[in-house]
Amino acid sequence: MKLLFSWIREHLDGAADADTMAERLTAAGLNVEVREKDGADEMWDVDVTTNRPDAMNHRGLAREAAAAGCGTLKALATAVTESATPVGELAGLGVEDVIGCPRYCARVVRGVKVGPSPAWLAARLETCGVRPINAVVDATNFVLLDLGQPLHAFDLATLSGRQIRVRRARAGETMTTLDGMVRTFTADDVLICDATSAVAVAGVMGGAATEISAATTDVLLESAYFDPVAVRRTARRLDLSTEASRRFERGADRAMARLAVDAVAALIVRLAGGEVAAGVLDSAPDLPPLRTVALSLARLDAFAGCPIAAAQVMAILVALGLAPRRDGDAITCAVPTHRVDIELAEDLYEEVLRHFGYDNVPSLLPEVATAPGARLGSWPLTERARNALAAAGLAEAVTYSFVAAEVETATAGSPLASRGEAVPVLNPISSRLAVMRRSLLAGLVEAVAGNLRRGVSRVALGEVGRAFFATGGHPREEERLAIAVAGAVGPWDAPRALDFLDLKGLVEAVLDGLGIAGATWRPTAAAVLAEGEGAEVVVGSSVIAVVGRLADPLAALLDLDAPVWVAELDLAAAAAPGVPAFQALARFPAVAADLTIRHRLAIPYAELVAAIRRDGPAWVEEVTPIARYRGEGVASDEVKTTVRIVYRHDDRSLTQDEVNAAHFTLMDALARDLGVSFT
Amino acid sequence: MVTGGLQLVREEFLAALEQAGADRGKVEEVRVRFAGRRSGLLRELEDRLKTLPKDEKPAYGKALNELKTLVQERLDAAQAAAEAAQHAGSAAVDVTLPGRRPSAGAFHPVTLVRREIEEIFLRMGYSVADGPETEDDWHNFEALNIPPDHPARDSQDTFYLPGGFLLRTHTSPVQVRSMETMPLPFRLIMPGRVYRRDSDLRHSPMFHQVEGLVVGEGVSFAHLKATLEAFVHRLFDARLKVRFRPSFFPFTEPSAEVDITCVLCHGSGCPMCSDSGWIEILGAGMVDPRVFRACGIDETRYTGFAFGCGLDRVALLKYGLPDLRLLFSGDERMLRQLGSRVGS
Repeated sequence: MKLLFSWIREHLDGAADADTMAERLTAAGLNVEVREKDGADEMWDVDVTTNRPDAMNHRGLAREAAAAGCGTLKALATAVTESATPVGELAGLGVEDVIGCPRYCARVVRGVKVGPSPAWLAARLETCGVRPINAVVDATNFVLLDLGQPLHAFDLATLSGRQIRVRRARAGETMTTLDGMVRTFTADDVLICDATSAVAVAGVMGGAATEISAATTDVLLESAYFDPVAVRRTARRLDLSTEASRRFERGADRAMARLAVDAVAALIVRLAGGEVAAGVLDSAPDLPPLRTVALSLARLDAFAGCPIAAAQVMAILVALGLAPRRDGDAITCAVPTHRVDIELAEDLYEEVLRHFGYDNVPSLLPEVATAPGARLGSWPLTERARNALAAAGLAEAVTYSFVAAEVETATAGSPLASRGEAVPVLNPISSRLAVMRRSLLAGLVEAVAGNLRRGVSRVALGEVGRAFFATGGHPREEERLAIAVAGAVGPWDAPRALDFLDLKGLVEAVLDGLGIAGATWRPTAAAVLAEGEGAEVVVGSSVIAVVGRLADPLAALLDLDAPVWVAELDLAAAAAPGVPAFQALARFPAVAADLTIRHRLAIPYAELVAAIRRDGPAWVEEVTPIARYRGEGVASDEVKTTVRIVYRHDDRSLTQDEVNAAHFTLMDALARDLGVSFT
Repeated sequence: MVTGGLQLVREEFLAALEQAGADRGKVEEVRVRFAGRRSGLLRELEDRLKTLPKDEKPAYGKALNELKTLVQERLDAAQAAAEAAQHAGSAAVDVTLPGRRPSAGAFHPVTLVRREIEEIFLRMGYSVADGPETEDDWHNFEALNIPPDHPARDSQDTFYLPGGFLLRTHTSPVQVRSMETMPLPFRLIMPGRVYRRDSDLRHSPMFHQVEGLVVGEGVSFAHLKATLEAFVHRLFDARLKVRFRPSFFPFTEPSAEVDITCVLCHGSGCPMCSDSGWIEILGAGMVDPRVFRACGIDETRYTGFAFGCGLDRVALLKYGLPDLRLLFSGDERMLRQLGSRVGS
């Protein structure tokens, strides 16, 4: 909020200098963020927090400055010279909605001459960011900035029946506001009306039809207290935020409504002439009793963590106008009407502490019974997943949880993503971030595309994050791990293109890192992966991962011309980390024998291994592939797979003869069961 | 004498070996010629032993053995020399070529910063709590003393989802859930992704926070100060000055903003700290009793403090990144530049 130092000073006797005041106000929580010299004066921009509407004006800040030792607050002088005419003869007031409008005060000034404001006033308004309009309107804005009370001036002659009625709108009722826009109201909106129609949106903005013009001679001044919630709802719905609405929605000062109408009436006479009618129309002259809040000195000390002298506590509360009364350990305060933020003892603790000085409270490390802390919830799992990604050589990316709708749809073709419907963001910040992802591939593949466009030759990214699903109630969140790699692989002097087995190696490393065992790999029809170049990983009866080359339609959507290899894993499949049990090391030597098997491509490698284990002796320890050959000498639907079979017996050394015998028996069995040959 | 023949072979061998020099091929030829299994000269000499008269055999045999030993030793030495020569003579390794590195992974800068912060608090006996990223209005706002239709909601522009749900705007709902379910006293931090409708150099619609919450009997403002001082000194630098300024958050009373000496200019003033010499790093305060009430905690018995900071912002400060949104770009070069040293 923009204020003038000199204006604040006018409310103080013995005001401190600008440096001292700015420093003390900031230390007390009213942060003077900007100070601009203006000749001998200064313009300040003060960050007033939403809980301190009382400080959104010059007097309020002066009050705080006084409490911080920067002077003494002067009493508010609002002497008004009244004419003989009672106000009741000139205007009428009826408040139908006392909930929306707990208090409405009005004065009438007759015989004004509306012209521009004097230079001193216009300058003050402009420095504080308010545009001068004419002396009457400017006077209302002046008092707003001075005392914090939003005011409005009506041309009395334009109020039909010379009546002010405060009521809720009828649905569909309309009015043109001062900014020239036609507004349509709902039954929630509080309106200021005359005998026939709406003339202002209560607490937000006046109407165009009743505004002060050069022809105005009689003015009706409104100074009211409106319900904060009602004003806020109306202002938001109309997409308006005004000096008035901002103060009402934070909580205005019910007592000031009455004082401010005098101040503005007196100022208008001074600036524009005229006479103030006698008396004030006031719908609720009796103020409710002041709220009392009590604190305990002992509890305050415990709360602060250090003793604060009772005398100092009292002095601070007195300076803030909280009228404290002490009775031993207890201090009871009568909260003035401008402090809407003080309801509980803790609110008083804050007042004391901020004037005591946060820096004057010592720092004391707590003495507590200690036990080691732990990671809870899904943290242990997701941290293991991140470690597995990094151990596999991937760079951990973090991409947005929301993606463009077409990208989300393009990654929906997988058993992991199609587990439910997507959750749309109702008010996205951009159409590219409009739907919650059901697959981490949506964002990760875009990241790969970005890297390839920037000319990175090898991209190897991973991400651990959540996928989101609609449930009809609270959306469901699933922890996922995703991988996306593209480009060349291998050392700099022997690069080659990435292929499926490179990706599978990364995935197998991650599965190991997460303790996922017993996974079966089978070809997949998932639409997100290219046909014939993708797999599902199955554990038990569930698909826990999809792995393969990103399908062309999605690649085209993202303008990718290089192949991108992707994988996504459901982290729910991860096993709880266990302590490994040592397996005794083999005592006897192994005998290795290579076997080149010529077989139809339709027989997958896993089936060969299964057959070897089934048809071979019990002491087959390991089967690993050595080579795969297709080409000359092999039919187009066939392949030669060379495996190394390691034979080892747990309890004795094998003889070459028995290995040979078993090996040949195995070969016969394979030929018989699978129809393979060995040439 | 018959041994004269041996002597001739000996001389021939030595001459041939000398001629072969360090040439592996030639040394091999010499080996085959003299020590070859089937047709080497030594073989012939062995055959001749059998034809000798009995009294001449011992002398001949001894001389032959000596010759065999000599030949073997000299051949071994010549072969070794030839191999060494081959290595020395060939082009030496260019040691300035890049090595074939094993693939090293990299953690995201936010992960690194989060882990560093978690370590500091885990060592103080705090646990790390977790919660959903999609939330209901009560957990995200109302329970935190931010009622509907309250101006405090303006500072957190919210993304809304169907059914009255929203994307959490801070990790404070995890505080609420913890207060609803965990036994007292406790000390927790809660990191995670949060969402606000905001996007510029310093703001991203999705970012990360870490908050902390301590609830117990006798928890005081002095404890809050000491804890946060210890935290920033450990996270940044023990020499930094720390100051606490009164502020306002709906869920704390009193509230504070915590500044540290600007880590870039060390307090002398620079654009990063708007020439003030201070950087605001944390929001904090004593838990507002209205929050305890909402969570079913006896506010007459318990007090607590809470604090929070932006993880991405800490990463920006630590690594000198110009634009927060870079952290979400998946830029491979940035990630590997900042996030490697896995295991260190």
